[in-house]
Amino acid sequence: MSAVTGTAPRRTGPLEFVRDTLLLTGRSLRAIPRVPERLLDVTIQPIMFILLFLYVFGSAIHVSGISYKDYLFPGIIGQSLAFGVIGAGAATSADMAEGVIDRFRSMPISRLSVISGQVIGQFCEQVLGLAIIAVVGLALGWSPHVTPIHAIELVVLTVLALIAFTWCGVLFGMLVRSPDAVQGMGFIVIMPLTFMAGTFVPIAGMDAIPRAIAEWDPISALVATVRSLTTPGFHTGGSWQLDHPEIAMALWCMVLMAVCVPLALRRFNRTLAQ
Amino acid sequence: MTKSAVETASLTKRFGSFVAVSSLDFEVEVGTVVALLGPNGAGKTTIVRMLATLLRPDAGTARVAGYDVVRDAARVRELISLTGQFAALDKNLTARENLILMARLRDRSSPAARRIADELIERLDVGPFRDRLVKNLSGGERRRVDLAAGLIDRPHLLVLDEPTTGLDPRSRQVVWSTIRELVAEGVTLLLTTQYLEEADALADRLVLIDHGRAVAAGTPAQLKTQVGQQRVDVVAADSAAYERLLGVLRGGFEITPLREQRTISVPAPDEAGDLARVAAAVSASGIGVDEIALRRPTLDDAFLALTGHIAGEPAPEAEEVAA
Repeated sequence: MSAVTGTAPRRTGPLEFVRDTLLLTGRSLRAIPRVPERLLDVTIQPIMFILLFLYVFGSAIHVSGISYKDYLFPGIIGQSLAFGVIGAGAATSADMAEGVIDRFRSMPISRLSVISGQVIGQFCEQVLGLAIIAVVGLALGWSPHVTPIHAIELVVLTVLALIAFTWCGVLFGMLVRSPDAVQGMGFIVIMPLTFMAGTFVPIAGMDAIPRAIAEWDPISALVATVRSLTTPGFHTGGSWQLDHPEIAMALWCMVLMAVCVPLALRRFNRTLAQ
Repeated sequence: MTKSAVETASLTKRFGSFVAVSSLDFEVEVGTVVALLGPNGAGKTTIVRMLATLLRPDAGTARVAGYDVVRDAARVRELISLTGQFAALDKNLTARENLILMARLRDRSSPAARRIADELIERLDVGPFRDRLVKNLSGGERRRVDLAAGLIDRPHLLVLDEPTTGLDPRSRQVVWSTIRELVAEGVTLLLTTQYLEEADALADRLVLIDHGRAVAAGTPAQLKTQVGQQRVDVVAADSAAYERLLGVLRGGFEITPLREQRTISVPAPDEAGDLARVAAAVSASGIGVDEIALRRPTLDDAFLALTGHIAGEPAPEAEEVAA
């Protein structure tokens, strides 16, 4: 037989891209129940923070114009979104170290579909984590007041932030070739940023240097957005971005994607061409 | 149509200042089995990764079925199937799920993908562990699943990078018999190995690779004759016997003493006739021996003669480059 005729030239059209992406997303989704420690990162960790701040530190924190529960939960949601960078980064870096990526790359499939499958899989994992946090929050007495318009706004902005942070994590995971290093470096950078973002205590009461960072921390915009959309009338303020958190947050997400998406794609092809 | 499944010209790859592959020329004809034989760190993996479009050559060219691995990379990916040293499987999927996914990514419908997966499971004897997650499989089991994944589309060129390194004897047998079946069906195969025995058993042609260079090429028989003729080896029972045997044989034969192995080696151009003469001399002396045997040079001898070190043992400053 002639082997060459056995393999018809393959296709790189948009339909094939969608098909490959769906197949590879399915692969990422199946990993969620099979690697439970990853889901623990996006559920147990935020629940620990909720319990600590609600029942240990919370009694010492007073924020005027809002109950501490209503203050805390938007903060936890913002923090979880930000920690998604570490989760996506660690998963990507672990995946890139696996031989299976080499097999995908040596197959006649769309290269982009390998990354997009990864991004969508991470996205779903984060959504699952956020849903669990929201349910825990409601069970513990968080009482968001959301108008239909605000609900749509909240969903759109959350999805945007999830996508942006996931891409950011994917890039991070490609640059740092070990999941442990991603975890370590992630915590050094992202942990302080989430604490300074008005997550647990108001920015206005911080010392000058952390306050200056907080006023321009993208996570602050995120937290302030969720807070203002779930507690009507509550306004953070203090800098341009905190006066207009929704716009600032949308801008941050677009900037992050504009930087991270092309760099991640380039990096993915570069690892091939080294 | 070109008759070469693989053709390289001055193929070169550097990692920093380390030259992993140096001006390599070799060819694999369609329908043949070629083994790249060399120790760890010789550059074998780097060569096959360039052929599979996973690494870009720094200089020279490589063609698969006439297509350049850099300019026509997409076409090359359709023609080649690489099964690497490190299992290229998703460890969070079961063996069967992996095969189904790979088949679907190769454009099979869901039922067709399941059918192919089950055929391959049968063929590579994956049945007993088909529904276990790959992360819980042994190295040998993974390798069999990995090889199965490489056979989903019948590739124009099948590349197996050290298919049996580190395998238990049972998995090794399964892999060998699958390779033999494929060869019988006419698949073109490029195989890398550090085992002379494996290259000898499976390949039509060998290319000996050392420090990223091809140091010799030919059929196993050619390489063996290149090293020399048959010999009679006499292994003495103990060191005292060895010394006495040296005295006895030195007179009548042109000997090569190998003191560490208590072995005396005698050229045997006359084969059985020489064996009989040596045996008669030993027998007349009454000295105890463990073994008297006629030996054909092995590929170990060939490798030692051509590279100055033993295959399977790392060359000096050798270092595995798996980037």
